[in-house]
Formats: sequence, structure tokens, C-alpha cells
Amino acid sequence: MRIDRTHQKWLVASLIILGLASAIYVFYAARSPAGPSGGSAVGLTFGMVGSAFMVFAGLLAARKKLPVVRLGRAQSWMRGHLWLGLLSLPMILFHGGFRFGGPLTSVLMILLIMVVVSGLFGAALQHYMPNVMTAEVQKETIFEQIDHVRAGMIADADALMAATTGASDAGATKQAARAPIAVQTVALTPGAALALSNFYVREMRPFLQNDGGERHPLADTSSARAIFVELRTLLPGETHDAMKSLEDICEEERRLRRQTRLHHWLHGWLMLHIPLSFALLLLGCVHAFMALRY
Amino acid sequence: MSASASGLVELTIDGNKVSVAAGTSVFDAARMQGIPIPTLCHQQNETPVGVCRICVVDVGARVFTASCVRPVEAGMVVNTNSEKVQRARRTLVELLMADHPSPCTREQHSGDCELEAMAHRDNITRPRFAPHSTGRAKDSSSPSIAVDFDSCILCDRCVRGCGEIRDHFVLARMGKGTAAGIAFDDQRAMGESSCVSCGECMVSCPTGALTNKVFTHTALGAGPTFENVPVEELQQLPFFKGVSGTFLSLNRGAVVRRQFRRGEIICREGEYGSTAFYILEGKARVSISNPMAHVKTKGVVKKFLGKLSSKLAQRQQDQRDEETYKRWIPIDAPVDLEYDSPVAELNAGDLFGEMTCMSLYPRSATVRAETDCTMLEMLRNVLDIMQRNKNFRAQLEKSYRQRALDSHLRAVPVFAELTDEFISSLRESVELVRYSPGQVICRQGEPADSFYLIRIGFVKVTQLHMGGEMVMAYLSRSEYFGETGLLREDVRTATCTALDHVEVVRIGANDFKRMLAEFPQVREKLEAVEQERMEMNRARLAVLQNVPLDDFLTQGLMEAQSLLLLDLTSCTRCDACVRACADAHEGVTRLVREGLRFDHYLVATSCRQCLDPLCMVGCPVGSIRRRNSLEVIIEDWCIGCGLCAENCPYGNINIHPFNVMVEDLASPGRKKAMVKQKATSCDLCTEYAEPSCVYACPHDAAHRVDPRKFFAELLKPGANTGKAR
Repeated sequence: MRIDRTHQKWLVASLIILGLASAIYVFYAARSPAGPSGGSAVGLTFGMVGSAFMVFAGLLAARKKLPVVRLGRAQSWMRGHLWLGLLSLPMILFHGGFRFGGPLTSVLMILLIMVVVSGLFGAALQHYMPNVMTAEVQKETIFEQIDHVRAGMIADADALMAATTGASDAGATKQAARAPIAVQTVALTPGAALALSNFYVREMRPFLQNDGGERHPLADTSSARAIFVELRTLLPGETHDAMKSLEDICEEERRLRRQTRLHHWLHGWLMLHIPLSFALLLLGCVHAFMALRY
Repeated sequence: MSASASGLVELTIDGNKVSVAAGTSVFDAARMQGIPIPTLCHQQNETPVGVCRICVVDVGARVFTASCVRPVEAGMVVNTNSEKVQRARRTLVELLMADHPSPCTREQHSGDCELEAMAHRDNITRPRFAPHSTGRAKDSSSPSIAVDFDSCILCDRCVRGCGEIRDHFVLARMGKGTAAGIAFDDQRAMGESSCVSCGECMVSCPTGALTNKVFTHTALGAGPTFENVPVEELQQLPFFKGVSGTFLSLNRGAVVRRQFRRGEIICREGEYGSTAFYILEGKARVSISNPMAHVKTKGVVKKFLGKLSSKLAQRQQDQRDEETYKRWIPIDAPVDLEYDSPVAELNAGDLFGEMTCMSLYPRSATVRAETDCTMLEMLRNVLDIMQRNKNFRAQLEKSYRQRALDSHLRAVPVFAELTDEFISSLRESVELVRYSPGQVICRQGEPADSFYLIRIGFVKVTQLHMGGEMVMAYLSRSEYFGETGLLREDVRTATCTALDHVEVVRIGANDFKRMLAEFPQVREKLEAVEQERMEMNRARLAVLQNVPLDDFLTQGLMEAQSLLLLDLTSCTRCDACVRACADAHEGVTRLVREGLRFDHYLVATSCRQCLDPLCMVGCPVGSIRRRNSLEVIIEDWCIGCGLCAENCPYGNINIHPFNVMVEDLASPGRKKAMVKQKATSCDLCTEYAEPSCVYACPHDAAHRVDPRKFFAELLKPGANTGKAR
């Protein structure tokens, strides 16, 4: 979610809540001879408010499971998640008097800080990354369809190679090409045919199969361009259209890799944020039970 | 020239003295002596014209002469095969081959192109002369004959075949010099001309310029139920009377006789086919088995945990706007079906499946043999030639006037009140007129002289404005046009063009005026509809004039009434919108997060309620239409064939499966559970104040917008394109 002017009301409300809480805490801390305590009435109130904020933030996951049910707009929930989740940290700090306490409360504090920091990191990513993705990946594919698109590209490339070299088994894939390939079969010299075949089998096909990672020569635009320029000098002019198509397929693969990388950045942080949040809520319940019981 | 008293002329051909009747051509004189002279343009059953010059012979004159047009003369010494003559012929063949694509269609399929055979004999592989293209290339408008103008050698055999042998005079020469060619009527496409597809031209053609499309079509299936009918027997049938035997011979297998036992299914609704059926004997029952219901998204919206669900709802349960009148369901048969009881009977002499056959639309209804039936099943080339046959047309029109005109007129709500007497009086004056795809039925600015009611096919209505032509509507069976000009007694206000094979009922201006005079209520209704159409057109024009163009037009966004936009600078690609849509519609999403980009907005795949709704073209039962609000509505009699989903250029119509109990066609009277499909499109979640996709977006990235306002604001000079709301 972009953090923009539409968050102004939430920001103002959060600052007011924080200001009020801070004032109460300063007043309360100054008036407590033994220092602020989580077990005092004010301390318990801070703890309950902080917990309520955390629970509300955690309920976003449940809200997402019921997208159609009219429980309030999802974006309102998201704004609440962001701002109340952030406010929960000072509330809990006020609750504990800025002390970590025993082992359980220390774990809880560390968890809370990690959740808030990972959340802030995620919010920053979700603020900037959509822009980056929009600019860098012009032709986006639905993420779940990337493997399918990749299989289609391999089939296209195999068909192109078969059509160019006249080989019947240039491609190992059995998937049909996405579009009819109209390429003139050219009589290549043995040297040229070997160079093309070697390039395809050893370089391009593994690249399309997503092997080699970022260090693969075809993963870099300029080195890929140089490879294709060199290949064209070895091959007759009739094959150059086919070479252009192969080059375009490599570019599409690079685009898919870029999209995958950015997608992982956009959503990867949740792998940390969500389990920590659930652990925090769970241990928070244990802490509340134990504190009230004993 | 002098002849003997017996009328015989003596001459010498290749050293042989011969006597032939005065007036005989040199070509025939040589042929009678067993001396073959090669030729391309000359046929024994046609008047010789001597245009190809291949038959040149040396008669000792200054130049060689074309033997087919040169009469014999007494004492003439003819040399048909000297080296000089052979050289001249070879040059002529080379010249003809230079313009002839090799191998031509005929050579490719049957290896009997006469010109190419000559070239092979003379070992001509690569002509010395530069090729010249006619620039007209191919005409595939006729369902039975393919025309390749580049293969034409201007021998005129087809022209003479059409005029001299068949008396049709459709084909003629057109143009001069290198621009010369053959033409149908006044240079129309063959399919639009008055050609009756007798096949004489293609039989006459020596090359691949006119070939039988059987080369590219498969014949009907084989087996015990497919009985080939001999040509002679076909020609005995009244409606085949006058159809060319040549054509029927060439298309053997494209029409078969089929026997159906009582209860047997002849065709099923929604299936794709390519044939039409003509009932020779027996009765058939035509019906729609898909439930008469539409997809209704219901929800208990007031309750805290209320959730939507998609169900099939009948009109009685869920009356939608503009469903107050009783509707007739148009099908691909001479009868319409009633909404309340969608069943009708077809009898001997009825033709059904015309739209499927001519335009390859899905079958509109299920047809089952009510008694043992005998039918002719035919492919498009045969149906086309029958439609051009006067006897068949006369029979078809007679049957239509007697049986279908009544229900067809009454199926149109504004004509529901016409009396039987008036319809009877119309029976003899209405005319059934056919149009080929792309043919203009009436043109904007022409005097209004007729009213048209569509019987088969789809008509596109366009208006010309400054800046181009705009599509105003697509009309299908039982819809009408041409009333505006007649009501105003003025010129046509729009151009109406056949989108596919269209047949209309043409009612002349006098009959139309008589109807208005006798039935003032019809006039009132027509005027109301006209007013409504004019207002809609004005609204669309206002859109054209007020909206910034460029990218907006090229992406087709201007077509939309309502768009789902995803702000890509906010969207985290979490697909919450897609999941919400699926949740709201029983797991079938009507939204895919993919589509065109405009600036930093993604125009997601979701119904755009286009101004030019291509989804409506081709619906075999006319069940997809729009309300006057322009919102697309799918009627209860949708048969779930999926054509609208295929036609939608934005992929915004989905087919939703439902488990229903329907009549078991194999065991009448019994019901069985079946999965039936209904088309659905985005309904904007009208049960809610906000569409589910927008409601469920946690990042404020999804927006439903009126594109005209939204983009107009966005494209204003100096507008902030960063965040437009």
C-alpha cells in the first residue's frame, strides 16, 4: 500500500493517540515511586490497548480470508493494520516501562520489535516496489503462470531451431509452439550448423529452463546482445530473422526473471512477518494468562 | 475463297491433301485429319475467339494465323508443326507462364492445369519475361468456387461458358491492356454477384483461376447413415430442379440423404456444425433443453456475515428491467420458440441449420426426430447454390409466408398487435432478400423505401460522422431497421451492413405506411423506439466529441461504459481482487488481473460494457443483448455455447457450469442430472454498493470508474497522472 496523502487522517489520529499515551505515561511514571509497572492499573491499560492493537493488526489475515463479507473495506483494515500495528510498540513499551522483564516478556518484546521492523520494511517495499515493477516489467504475466509461459517459450524456441536447421528433433519438448513458426529452412554449412546447435543446446536452452541464475551470460542484456551479434556473423542472412526471434525469447526470459525477482521482494518479507506475528500473538496470550492468573 | 460445287474446299495440311466443308476452321480441318493443334482458349462447344494464339499455324501468309478462327481456303497450304511455328508457340507459352503462378491451385490439387502441362512439354521452367500481377489476387466470396485472378490467362472460356452455354451472362471481360481481367456482374465479388454457382466457368477454365472449393472442403461423413444420392436422383427432387448437374457432380458427397429413427437426436444445441438439414419426410421436434433461467448473484447483504452465491433464477423469481413483455426465442429454423414452452415442430419441406451452415455458428436448438425422418444434410456450397436456385427460393419463400411470417412479426414486441387480416395482406407483398457478408443493405443518405425485419444473420448499423464511422448497434434475428427514414419520410439515417450471411424480410414503403395508418399504436411504439435509439446515439456521439483520443482509442477504452482499473503503482499483485471475485461467484472469477496498460493503470479483464459489443455478434439464439442503460444482459434462453465468450475481444465473458435436472432426450418424460452452462459477465456486484473486487483490495489499487470522466480528467493538460481518483 502506498503511504501517501490519503493516510493523513490516520497519521494525525496516530500522533494524537501517541501524544496522549506519552503524556499519560510521563505523568504516571513521574507519580510512581517504584517506577512504572505492567501490573499497575495504568500499566495494565497500556498492555490491553497495545494487545488490542496487535490483535486488530493480526485480524487482517482473517479479514483477507473473507474478502466478500461486508466487514469494512479491506483498505481500511490495511490502514488500521499499519497504523495501529505501529502504535502497539509504544503502547507495549509504556506497558513494560521500557524494560524487557523476564524471559517470556523479553522474547515478547524482541518478537514485537522484529514484527514492527519487518512490517515497516514490508510497508516500505510495498510503497516503492510496485512502481519499480511497473517501470521495469512492461509486459507482466500472472505470477502463477510464469512456468507455463516459460514452457511455451521453450516450445517456440525448439520449433524455431527445428525450422531453421531442418532438424526433426532439435527440441526435446513435446509441448506445441504457442504460434505457428514460419521460418525458411536454410542449408547451413557444417561449421555454422554446429555453432548454432552448440549455442542452443549448451547456452540458450538451459537459460530458458531457468538454469544458471544471474551469472548466465544470457541473463545480462548486453552480453546476450554480443552473443547474438557474434552468432549472426557465423550464420547466413536467411537465418537472421530466426536469430532475432531467439533473441526476443531470451529477452522475454530475462523479463520473467526480473518479474520473479521483484515479486519475491514484494512478498518475501511476509515469510518472516507473518510467522513472527502469530508467534507474538500466541505468546502474548500466554503472557496475559500467566500475568492475570499468577 | 472459292469452293467446289459440292461445297467442299481442298487444302493441304502438313503435306496431306484434305477436303472439308467451306467455312470449316483450319483447326477443325486439322483435327478431322487427326492432326492435333495445341490450344488453350478454344473448346469445341464454344465460339472460337482466337485470343490465346497457341493454335497458330503457318499458312504461308506474312504472319502466322490462329487456326481456330481462320476458315479454310481452297488451295491453302498449312504447316502446323514447323520449327518456326513451334518456336512461336513456345514463346507464347512462356509469355503466359510469366504471369501464371506455378503451380496454380489446379496443378497442385489435380495436376491438370492445361497451361502448365504445355509448359512441361516444352521444358519451360523459368520464363524469360518479367511477371505481371493483376493486383486482384483471390476472391473466396463464393462458397463453392474459388477465384484466383493471377492464374487467369484471359482465354475467355469461362465467359463463353457462362453466356453461350448457360445463358447466365454473369461473367465478362473488364478493363483494357494489362489491366484486363474477368469480372462478375459489374465487378462484384463472386459471392455477391448474380452467379448461380452452376459450375460451368470452372469446368471451362483451363488453369487454376476458377476451381471447385471441394478441393479445400471435406465431404460429409461416410457410413450406413450417410447415403450418397446420385445426381440424377437429386435433380428429380423439386427443389433441386434447375441446379447444375455439373456442380452436383463436382460436389458429390457434399449432400447426403440421412434416415433418422423416431426419437433420434439430429443435432444438439450449442454444438458446432457446418451443415444444414432439409426435411424430405417426417416430423422433427425442435427445443431448447438448457434451463430457462439466468445467473443471479444473490446475497444476504444486510447480515454481518452475509455472502454472495450464484444461482439460476427464472424470470418469475427474478424479474429484471425490460423483461415485461413475452419474448420469442429466435432460433436457426423457420420457427421461433415461445419463452414459456420452447418447443416447436418442423415438417417436410422445412430447412433448418442455415446459420450454422453458412456462418458456422453453434446450433441454436436441439432437434429430435418426432417420427421416422428422411433428411438431406448438406454442406455450405450446396446450400449456397440452392439458395440461389429460383425453384428452391420460391418454395422457401412460400413456406416462410405461410408458416413463419406470422410468428416472426409477432415476435417483435411493437408488432404484437397486428391483426391476422393485416398479416395475411402482407403475405404476398413482403420479399425475402439475401445479403452476403459485408454487403450494404441500405446506405446513409439514400431515400428510405423499405422496412427490414431480420430473418437470419447479423446486421451492423453504422453512422458516418466527422472523424469516421461509428458502430451504433448490432441487430440479429427478429430485430428490425429502416423505420426511422420511413417515419420521417426522409433519407436513411444510418448505413446497415450484413455482418454474415443475412436474410431480411423486406416490407415496402407503401405497406409500411398502410400499417402505420391502420395501427396507430404500432406507430406510437415505433416512434418511441426511434426516439430511444436517437437519444442513445446522441449520448454516444457526445462521448466521441468529449473524450481525448490517442492511446485511449487505440486500447479500445473509449468503448467501455465502466472499467476496472488497477493502479499499478499501488498494486502489490496480491490477487485479493481476483479471489474476491471468485468468492462472490461460486468460485468462477469474472476478473483476471491481466490486460492492457494505460499510463500506470492496468485495465483488468472484466466486462467493459462496450459501446461496440462484439460479444453479441453470432449468438445463435439472440440471448445476449444490452439494456438501454448499455449494461449487457444475458437472457434466460442462453444455451451456454460459449460463442459470446469467444467473441469478446477482452475475454470478459465466462461460462459458468451449473448442475441441473433436465429432460432426458433419450427417454422422453424422464429427467436426469446434467451440467449445463450459462454465460456470465461482470455484474458489478449490483447487490452491493461497491464491487467485491474493489471492496477487497487492501492497497486501494482497484477502482471502478466511468472511463470517459476518468480519462478525460487524467488526460487534461497539466493533470496529475500520479494518482487520479
